[in-house]
Amino acid sequence: MRTTSVLRRLAPALLVLALAATACTSEPSPAPQPDPPKDGVLRVLAGSELQDMAPVLAEAKKATGVTVQFTWTGSLDGADTVASGQADGKYDAVWFPSNHYLRLDPAAQGKLLSETPVMTTPVAVGVRSVMLNEMGWGDGSQVTWGQLGDAAAAGRLSYGMADPSRSNSGFSALVALASAFSGAGAALTDADVTKAAPQLKRFFEGQKLTSGSSGWLAEAYQRPGQSRVGALVNYESVLLSMNRTLPADDRLTVIRPQDGVISADYPFSLLASAGQPAQDSFQRLAKYLTTAGAQQRISETTLRRPVTPNVAPAAGVPTDRRRELPFPGTRAVADGLLSSYQNDLRRPSRTVYVLDTSGSMKGPRLEALKTAMARLTGQQDPRGVRRFREREEVTLVEFASKVKSERTYAVPETSPATELARIEADVRALQADGGTAVYSSLREAYELVARQQAAAGDDRFTSIVLMTDGESNEGLKEGEFRSWFGALPERQRAVPVFPIQFGDAAKAQLSGIAELTGGKLFDGTSSLDGAFEEIRGYQ
Amino acid sequence: MRRVISVLVAVLLLCGVGYAVIRSIDPPGVTTAQVRVLIGSEKAEFFNDPEVIEEFKAKGFEVKQQTTGSWTMPTANLDGLDLAFPASRGPAEDIKKNKGITAEAVTPFYSPLVVIAHKNAADALANANLATKGTGPVPWKLQMQPYLDKVRTDTKWTSLQGAAATGELAGDIYLTTTDPTTSSSGALHLAAVSYLENGERVVADDAALAKVGPLLKKLTDKQGDQKTSSDGPFKDFLSGVGNPLVLVYESQVASLVAHGVSTGDLVVLYPDTTVSSDHTAVGLTANGRQVADLLKDDPRLRELEAKHGFRPQADPAAFGKALAGHSDPTFATELSAAGIKQAPVASVAMLGKLVDAAKGK
Repeated sequence: MRTTSVLRRLAPALLVLALAATACTSEPSPAPQPDPPKDGVLRVLAGSELQDMAPVLAEAKKATGVTVQFTWTGSLDGADTVASGQADGKYDAVWFPSNHYLRLDPAAQGKLLSETPVMTTPVAVGVRSVMLNEMGWGDGSQVTWGQLGDAAAAGRLSYGMADPSRSNSGFSALVALASAFSGAGAALTDADVTKAAPQLKRFFEGQKLTSGSSGWLAEAYQRPGQSRVGALVNYESVLLSMNRTLPADDRLTVIRPQDGVISADYPFSLLASAGQPAQDSFQRLAKYLTTAGAQQRISETTLRRPVTPNVAPAAGVPTDRRRELPFPGTRAVADGLLSSYQNDLRRPSRTVYVLDTSGSMKGPRLEALKTAMARLTGQQDPRGVRRFREREEVTLVEFASKVKSERTYAVPETSPATELARIEADVRALQADGGTAVYSSLREAYELVARQQAAAGDDRFTSIVLMTDGESNEGLKEGEFRSWFGALPERQRAVPVFPIQFGDAAKAQLSGIAELTGGKLFDGTSSLDGAFEEIRGYQ
Repeated sequence: MRRVISVLVAVLLLCGVGYAVIRSIDPPGVTTAQVRVLIGSEKAEFFNDPEVIEEFKAKGFEVKQQTTGSWTMPTANLDGLDLAFPASRGPAEDIKKNKGITAEAVTPFYSPLVVIAHKNAADALANANLATKGTGPVPWKLQMQPYLDKVRTDTKWTSLQGAAATGELAGDIYLTTTDPTTSSSGALHLAAVSYLENGERVVADDAALAKVGPLLKKLTDKQGDQKTSSDGPFKDFLSGVGNPLVLVYESQVASLVAHGVSTGDLVVLYPDTTVSSDHTAVGLTANGRQVADLLKDDPRLRELEAKHGFRPQADPAAFGKALAGHSDPTFATELSAAGIKQAPVASVAMLGKLVDAAKGK
């Protein structure tokens, strides 16, 4: 233990050395190229939640000489990367909250040589502590998924949850909910999913925020305004960690529903394709991470539970047990559940695409845009990660010096193919010419959303995607847009813009728009496909 | 087990001679040969133990380990490895066949499969006559036939007296095992259940296979996604998550206890009919074969094996010695004396069919 305490004092200095994060968010495909293999460097494709392991890994480097070089991606996208063989030779190990989804893929058989669970935490619901009394939920320890669902359906509980088609936290919550609502005694079947559907629909009436990453949800949770939610579905460890910095009014009470949870156990997993030096580094690091000293440090730093019996969980981590719900045993059941969620169970979306077809887009850029958009109309998408969903309302706003056209499509509940083909055909017909009036076009998109909302009188997930390859040089100026936006009614200001930076886009303008509207900037310069697909998690 | 031992004695004599010759050429403590071993995850801590490393070093070897599920070994790339050391004979035989190895494999130690539970779950099983409580040196036992009946009828924990009081005991009663397609413990469990379901006869033909198949599939379907290696469900249990009943190797628990680590309210339930994993080492090179022999014959290594919860074949008293002075949880120092029967394991080919039946393939 003496070594550990010395390391602890050195930790701040080591932090700088230990982590070489190559990308900040996920990119479904293709991943940025990590460096070629190097002695003592382990290239790890990982879930971004593991950023909180930085201090532990800094100490691990000191003790083992192994540097971890992370590339971040979502759990389910990561599983696809491994199963398709794209991780072979590029990474040495993968590290996600769970390998459930990966294991269900027959193509992934034999891709992992060894898996070492490092820490555990259940997926839970963090409810604003100030709301617990009015809900009559006492200290929260006896609450069930059923009670949460009732509150959501009654409009008393709104929450944010990460997209289950991308994120392990969202997926685990969805499985736990389907198990609880169907009363399944064991692993879910298709029949259980069908049985749970009515109650799942009620539960998802309360979902006001969706995202591809848990980090954005945490920020959105604290944003004032109409979109302010009462709860977050996330890992217990993330929710407890948020409480360390949240102001008193925003603090969360972590509810692990009485009827069962699904826990993440963060298996540190060696790829079978890894070379010999990487295998040795992996063993050294895996061994270190399960020592008592490292386990204690992990629990104190991340508020996850240790996996060795001689270490107690950090203060504040509850120790009473919950029923652990099993995970589906086949890909068919898992994908069926995800597809139901996207196309039937969740609140439908209103999605507006503001697309720059100015003169500078001519040629390869316009072709890249057409390809990226066409992917969203394709049929090959078993778990609902890309394609426009059934019941989704999609509007294409084409602009250059001014808005050139606005077309709205309603993807029907059944037989969506015809409408998807119409979207694709219209995208294929786009022509590039003219200047770039970003702010004026964006204003028109907001006005369009207001008209659509008023006409339909509905309550959809509503968001705007803005794709541009240049700087706004016509129409409204930035300042004019800002003051116009500031005067919008609350409901309009709650609509986020997700700008995609492409070509010679003015990054500062775009990040300003994302910040102003509560959206998030995406980088489409290396993969426009990837950016369009990633944003689907937020729509 | 007896049959194995008699074969091993002959092998031991042969190898012992070769070993003595090589040792006399190699001056002790001067050179160490690096030996790469592929092991099931359940032996990782043994090979990581500084005392084990020290003893190997004293005998002239530096052992580098890599872990994987035992049943993934026959298809894994074994290039550059000296020894493959799965947790049972089945994969060891497949490795020999795939690699064209004719030398007899070595089984230095074994460990029976046991079920672990927290005290409240074990009590609930005992109240429902699914388990018998341990007292003093007598271990807890899981009554396999009554348990399998509960699985067949989808009985829920909440129907057992005493379980309703704690929220975590809900849902169907079933054991969590590893994936039998990748991991030895999961496959061996199927062997034991198939033996019981076939009227205490080894499943040897397709008629018997058809008879036991539905129950094996039910046991597997209930679990949903299964982990690939025995380390996973055990670590989950120790972390306070996972199913109330988990099938593990006795050695995983005994190792902690022998090292003086408290396992809290963990109870070890011995299935009244169980299977032992015969940890079987297949030497792929001369160095690998020497290491396998040391694991079996070296007294210091045998002592350390017992300290890691294994039962050395050639030293039946070692296990009890390693656990002397530790009374919680209770272990069966002598399996047959405790009335724990060993189910014979079906042939490798039939075991493959049983696994397929369980997985619905």
